Amino acid sequence: MKRKSQIVTLAALSTVAVMGASVASAESTLEIVKERGNLRCQVGPPSAGYYNLDSEGVWYGLDVAMCKAVAAAVFGDATKVEIQSVSSQARFTALANGESDMLSRTATWTLSRDTQLGIDFLPPNFYDGQGFTVRRDSGITSALELKGAKVCVTTGTTNELNLTDFSRTNDLGISNVTFEDFNVRDDTYLNGGCDAVTGDKSSMAGNIASFPVPSDHMILPETLSKEPLAPAVRHGDNQWADIVRWSVFALINAEELGITQANVDEMLATSTDPNVLRMLGAEGNLNEGLGLEPDWAYNIIKQVGNYGELYEAYMGGGELGIGIDRAGTLNALWTDGGLMYSPPMR
Amino acid sequence: MAIITPIKTPDRAAPLAERSIIGWMHKNLFSSWFNAILTVVTAYLVYITVTGLWAWGVTDATFIADSRRECFENSLSGACWAGVIDWFDNIFYGRYPREQIWRINLGAVLLVLWMAPLWMSRVKGKVLIGAGVVVFYPFLAGYLFAGGEKGLLTQLMVSGAIVALIANTSNMLIGITTRASLKEFLLQVLGKAQASGRTQRNVLLAIVLFVFVAVFLWQMQWTAEAVSWTQWGGLFLTMVIAGIGIASSLPGGILLALGRRSKLTVVRVLCTGFIEVFRSVPLITVLFMATTMFPLFMPEGFVLNKLVQVIIAVVLFNACYMAETVRAGLQAIPRGQYEAAHTIGLGYWRTTGLVIMPQALKYMIPNIVGTFISLLKDTTLVSIIGLFDILGMLRSISKDIPWLGLHKEPLIFGAMLFFVLCFSMSKYSRHLETKLSAGDQH
Repeated sequence: MKRKSQIVTLAALSTVAVMGASVASAESTLEIVKERGNLRCQVGPPSAGYYNLDSEGVWYGLDVAMCKAVAAAVFGDATKVEIQSVSSQARFTALANGESDMLSRTATWTLSRDTQLGIDFLPPNFYDGQGFTVRRDSGITSALELKGAKVCVTTGTTNELNLTDFSRTNDLGISNVTFEDFNVRDDTYLNGGCDAVTGDKSSMAGNIASFPVPSDHMILPETLSKEPLAPAVRHGDNQWADIVRWSVFALINAEELGITQANVDEMLATSTDPNVLRMLGAEGNLNEGLGLEPDWAYNIIKQVGNYGELYEAYMGGGELGIGIDRAGTLNALWTDGGLMYSPPMR
Repeated sequence: MAIITPIKTPDRAAPLAERSIIGWMHKNLFSSWFNAILTVVTAYLVYITVTGLWAWGVTDATFIADSRRECFENSLSGACWAGVIDWFDNIFYGRYPREQIWRINLGAVLLVLWMAPLWMSRVKGKVLIGAGVVVFYPFLAGYLFAGGEKGLLTQLMVSGAIVALIANTSNMLIGITTRASLKEFLLQVLGKAQASGRTQRNVLLAIVLFVFVAVFLWQMQWTAEAVSWTQWGGLFLTMVIAGIGIASSLPGGILLALGRRSKLTVVRVLCTGFIEVFRSVPLITVLFMATTMFPLFMPEGFVLNKLVQVIIAVVLFNACYMAETVRAGLQAIPRGQYEAAHTIGLGYWRTTGLVIMPQALKYMIPNIVGTFISLLKDTTLVSIIGLFDILGMLRSISKDIPWLGLHKEPLIFGAMLFFVLCFSMSKYSRHLETKLSAGDQH
């Protein structure tokens, strides 16, 4: 009898626990974030251009700006964001288990990740691709001339696999020299330990800038892979996905419309373009579907900037930029032959 | 015919080979051809290493610059210490708000002040001081570092810790000046030195209560600004994790070791299982489990504190290692000691506390300090799970745009820092050993 009542109690308790868990997860991400009062946005261990710490301990970079844009959209305050730095092994788990609200950390959008990890990718905020760096005096001008070369590569990313595939496809017999740390990889290359370095072109541009004599090195024209780097959210909360998606599009759309951090107030006051007025919340009700305030996009542009400004600041020639030319690349606006394209905001 | 002189003949000097540098070198460095060659080769290797390092790290190095590019312009072959210097705040304090850094410094000063009496021979009550550090300091330091609104419980704990600090400091000052303990001094001053034990106790309690109330009222006047643990980092975070680990793994290890040697089957099996499980998995696995898997079992939106999880993991892990060290020390005590303690009527706890442990701990010191040193170095593993301890910070310098690619110098700086910390720990352990074995006549 006593045992039976214990079992019943236990069953009741576990039911309550399960119910509690399901009730808690029924709450939408937007509600959880608003209740907490800040956005937990996940980046990775510092990586030049995308997310790094300065000597004052402040995070900056393109992906950090993305986090701030979402915080500005949700709270109207870009500072209400807690940047979490998670290793690449644990990144998707930390998103799936609710530790992070969103992921903005140079994660490549692939089919398997999108369908098997319980996460959803949003529009890419940077299109990258793998390439090679060689010394100018080596006389190599194309990746297809790397026959039998020793190539330095870091482990833990898709770089290694892509390099092996490229070597096999073109029958080059490249031998991989693998490293855990990209600084050691670059040192080995600089000391003549390998003939070329392979990595994502954006990060390699930054690395070359850090070499003692940058003009001695060059990036070969070939691109081995497609690396659309996109923010991601947990699968299953469509409203939250919409918020992050349209925050990315708002950055691009603002650039298309010529709205910048400096002129946003002026545009709001004087513009007669309905597209501008709709986006900045002066007309229409675009915000209602997102569950945000009417000035959500205004806050993004006012506090963070538009996509072009962010690119210039962190990836381009800005003081904290890594100096990748934007013109003619995939990251230019669609009107300039790139892939940055925002669906109409109406 | 013998000549007998009444005075001692003067000592002759030792042979040249025994007293001059030449002689010493001949004996120790050039005693054979083979040794001579070894000496020359070694001396040459040391010479090129030292001169190379000196040239790279000092003569060609840049100490003041705004970016790595400037360092290169100054010298292509030298070290660029400017980046490390620029990042000092990050390396030592992490992302702690810059205007609040004084709190960390104050915490460090208080710890030194609290522990200083342990090294002073004139101060009495060392055991109480040590216990006070372990029990009270964490509350004071914890609030000092984290800040925020104080609940009643926090207020009581902080007040208690401040009272303990006041008692400790005044005890130290009195010890230095009069060699008396605080208690003796107070009773002396109040003229109660000859009073009965009960009166003495009441007087002391009244003083403590009075001071406590005064401190409590005073601390209600201020609150420290809240600093989230996510902003903790650098050497400060390393010290927090290692400090808590060191302070709690020894008591935990002693309990586990006693449990493993216990005659009670349940206790013994539980302790043995616990120790073996934790000793057979790598620390990084425990850390990953604590930070990544644990939240999966929790409801969504559950607030979890990664730092607390990490500290719990480090403490449990090291307590298990410590338990085996302690057990080894306990097994070195001959059976006769236990029997002798029992014959004079001591029970289990008093046998352990008064007879066995004091002897065993002396044998364990080298191993205990060894565990402490590896614990301090193991804390750098937390940089893998996204906490910016000192290693995480040192590795971040190479990604900061002005210092892009600067990775050798920070790591060398870190190595020097760790060497200083670990070497002073091991020197202190040697000092303890000699001090404790002074009474041994074998």
